[in-house]
Amino acid sequence: MSKLDPLPGLAPYALQHFYDEMYADERSIRPHYKHVNRMFSGMSPEELQGKQKLMQRRMMEEGITFTLYNPAQDQPMERTIPFDMIPRIIPKAEWERLEAGIVQRITALNLFIHDIYHEQYIVKDGIVPRRMIISNCYFRPEMTGLRVPGGAYITTSGIDLIRHHDGEYYVLEDNLRTPSGFSYLFKGRSLMNQLFPELSFASSIRDVDHSLNRFLSVLRSLSPSRTKDPVIALLTPGEYNSAYYEHAFLAQQMGIHLVEGRDLVAQDHKIYLKEMNGLRRVDVLYRRLDDDFIDPLAFQPSSLLGVAGLMNAYRAGNIAIANAPGTGVADDKAMYVYVPDMIRYYLNEEPILGNVPTYLLSRPQERQYVLDNLSEMVVKETSLSGGYGMLIGSEATKQDLVDFRLKILAEPERYIAQPIMSLSRAPVLSGDGMTPRHIDLRAFVLMGADRKPHVIPGGLTRVAMREGSLVVNSSQGGGVKDTWVMA
Amino acid sequence: MLNRNAEALFWIGRYIERAENHARLIDVHYHIQQEEDFQAEGHKWSRLIDALGVRNEYLQQFESFAEQDVLSFITLDLGNANSLFSCVHQARNNLRTLRQHLPSELWDIANGFNLWLGEQSVADIMSSPHQFYQQIKERAAMFLGAEQSVMLRGNEWHFIESGRFLERAENTTRILQAVTVSCKSKDINSIYTQLQAVLKSVSGYQAFRRYYADDMSPECILEFLIVNPHFPRSIRFSFHKLEEHLAKLELDTSEKGSGHEKVIRQAGKIKAELDYMEKEEMSGDLVEDVLQALMLSCQKLGKTMEGAFFRREGVSV
Repeated sequence: MSKLDPLPGLAPYALQHFYDEMYADERSIRPHYKHVNRMFSGMSPEELQGKQKLMQRRMMEEGITFTLYNPAQDQPMERTIPFDMIPRIIPKAEWERLEAGIVQRITALNLFIHDIYHEQYIVKDGIVPRRMIISNCYFRPEMTGLRVPGGAYITTSGIDLIRHHDGEYYVLEDNLRTPSGFSYLFKGRSLMNQLFPELSFASSIRDVDHSLNRFLSVLRSLSPSRTKDPVIALLTPGEYNSAYYEHAFLAQQMGIHLVEGRDLVAQDHKIYLKEMNGLRRVDVLYRRLDDDFIDPLAFQPSSLLGVAGLMNAYRAGNIAIANAPGTGVADDKAMYVYVPDMIRYYLNEEPILGNVPTYLLSRPQERQYVLDNLSEMVVKETSLSGGYGMLIGSEATKQDLVDFRLKILAEPERYIAQPIMSLSRAPVLSGDGMTPRHIDLRAFVLMGADRKPHVIPGGLTRVAMREGSLVVNSSQGGGVKDTWVMA
Repeated sequence: MLNRNAEALFWIGRYIERAENHARLIDVHYHIQQEEDFQAEGHKWSRLIDALGVRNEYLQQFESFAEQDVLSFITLDLGNANSLFSCVHQARNNLRTLRQHLPSELWDIANGFNLWLGEQSVADIMSSPHQFYQQIKERAAMFLGAEQSVMLRGNEWHFIESGRFLERAENTTRILQAVTVSCKSKDINSIYTQLQAVLKSVSGYQAFRRYYADDMSPECILEFLIVNPHFPRSIRFSFHKLEEHLAKLELDTSEKGSGHEKVIRQAGKIKAELDYMEKEEMSGDLVEDVLQALMLSCQKLGKTMEGAFFRREGVSV
C-alpha cells in the first residue's frame, strides 16, 4: 500500500471545516475524483517526486517562466510557476451553472461599460453613483461616445471565483483589463498530457485547445477593415515584463505578430508595423499594456512602451484595440459591489453567481463595522491587483492593523473590505504525500464582435502554496493546477 | 519581418559566435606561457583581460589579477556585459523574442546552454579549464549544427549568419592584434610560439600544416589566418561569407539603392582588399596596420548595417 493512501478512501489529512474538492468527508472521495485519486494513490512517492522534478525541468527548458523583480538584484529572476500535478476536477452540471453565471456577468459588465461611455442610464436611474464613475482612475473620458467594433469592450477577461465552506461559488473579482494566465492553462494541459497520457485517455474531460482557435477568431472578428486576412498583433511591454512568456506563447499559437511599441508607427490615422520590407497596416491590436501606457499622446506622456497616435487611429475607426481602453472602469474593486445590480438592471435577471459580501469604506456605517472587526477582514485597495496593497486581518500583526486603520481613516474611499472567506481546499503533492492547500479559480472569457461570451472550459486553478495561506497570486508565490471539466 | 527582429537575429549570430571565440581565446591564453609569467603569475591574466578589452570594468571589482577572479569575471559574471555567460544569456533572450519565427530546437539548445552556464561555478572551471571551455565550444557547435540542418534559408537565416561572420572576422582580427601588439619588441621566436597557440585555438593547426608543412614562420601563420580562402575562421573567408549572406537578403526592391546596397558594397570592398593582399604585408609593422584597418572596417560595417536594416526611426515622421 502506498504512503499516500493509508486506508483506501480515507482522507490523508484532516478536513477541518473547509470544503475539500476531493474528499466529501473523512471516509469518502467525491465520485468525480475517484479515478484521479486511484491513480495518484497507486504511485510511489519516488515516482511522484520524479514526475514533479521532470515537470519543473520541462518548464525551465521550455522557458515557461515569469519574471520577478527584486531591487537588490541586478538581474531579474526568472521563475517557473509551481505546478501541482493533481488536477482540480469540476463536474459537468456544476460547470454549466458556473458558465451560465459567468456569461451573465460578462454580458452585464459589457453593457455597463457601453452605457458608461454613452448615455449613462445606470447613473441617471440612480443605480450607480456618478462620483464612482468620474473619480474612478480607470474611467477614460476619451472613450465617451466612441463606437467600438461590435460593441465588444471586454474581449478577454478573467473572473476569479472561490468556493466557500458552504460549497457555493462566489465571485471574488473581475479582471477586465489585461488578465493573464492563459498560457498556464494551455501549457499546463499539454504538460499533463505528456506526463500522464494514461490519465487523459481514461478520463473524459473537455478539451481546451479549440479555445485557442476561438481566441483567434474573436480577435479577427473585431477587424474594422474588410480584408479577408486581417493583420493582428499582440502588443507587449517587452521581454522584461513578468508575463512575457505568455505574450510570446499566445502570439506563436495564434500565428499573430508579437510587437513592442517601437515596432509600430502611426501615419494618417492608421497603425503600421515597421517591417524590413516597409510598412504593413495593422487591423487588430491585442494589447497587453495598461491604458496609461498605450499612447503617450493620449495618456501617460512619459510612456516609452506605447504608440504615439494609437488613440487617434482608434477614434478614426482604423484599428481595433482589445481589450478596449477604459474597461477598467468596471473592474475597480469598489465597482464590484454593484455588479449584481447591473445584472438586474441590464438583463432583468437574478444573478446566478453571488458576490462576496463587500463593505465600501466610504460609507460611514460600513467603515465603522469594518474597523471594529478588522482582524476578521480582508482589506483591499480598490485600484491595486496582484495581491498588493492588501491586509488579511487574521494574518496581520498588531502593528499592521494599526497602520491599516490609519490608512483607511485617511482615505476611506480607496479601500473595500470583505469578511475572510474560507477558500476551499484541494490536495497538492508534497514531499510526503497529499496535503491540503487553499485554491481559487480564474475563469477566462473571450468575447468577439458577436458579443457572445465564450468561457474556456475549466480555467486556471490557483493554489496558495504556503500551508494555511489564502494568497494565490503568482507574484506572491502561488502555484497552479490543471483544471478539468468533465464532459 | 520586423526591424527589431532582424536586429535580434543578427545579434544571436554575433553572441553565439562571440561566446565560442571567448572560449577559444581563454583556452589559448591558458596555454601560452611566457618567461615573465613565471615571475609574475598575474601578468598572464592581465593580458587576457586586455585581450578582451575589459580592464577598467575588471579593476572596478578586483585589485589584482588572480586566476580565479579573472576566469570568473570573463566567464560567468553576468555583471560583465561581455562575459561568456552574458553573451549566451543575451542570445537566449533575443531568441525568446523570436520564438515564433524559429525552429524550437534552436530555443531548446540556447535555453539549455544558458541554464547550464547558470549552474556552473568558478570551481567547475578551475577543476578542468580545458574541458570546461571545450564544452562551451561543443554547445556553440550544437547550436550551429541545428541552425544548419533545420532552418529555412530565408532572411532569418541570412541575418544570423551575417552576425556570425562579422563577429568571426572581428574576433580573429582581435586575437591576432593582441598577439602582434604584445610581442612587438620580442624576438621572432616568441611571437612564433604565440601564433602557434592562436592557430591551435582556432582549430587551424592541422589545416595549416597542409599548406605550410615545411615553413612555420610567423608570416605564414598570419597569412593563413588572414587571407586563406578555404579556412573557415580566416578573416577573408569570413568576409566572403558575410558578403554572400548580405547579398541574399530578400528585401523589397524599393528599399534597394539605399542602405542595403551600401552594406553589400562595403563588405565587397573589404573582401576585395583581402583578396589582393600581398605576403609582404604579413610581417612586422605592416601587419599591425593591416589588422588595425580591418578592425575599423568591421566596426564601420556594423554601423552601416545598423542604419540600413535595424533602425527605422526615419520612417516614423
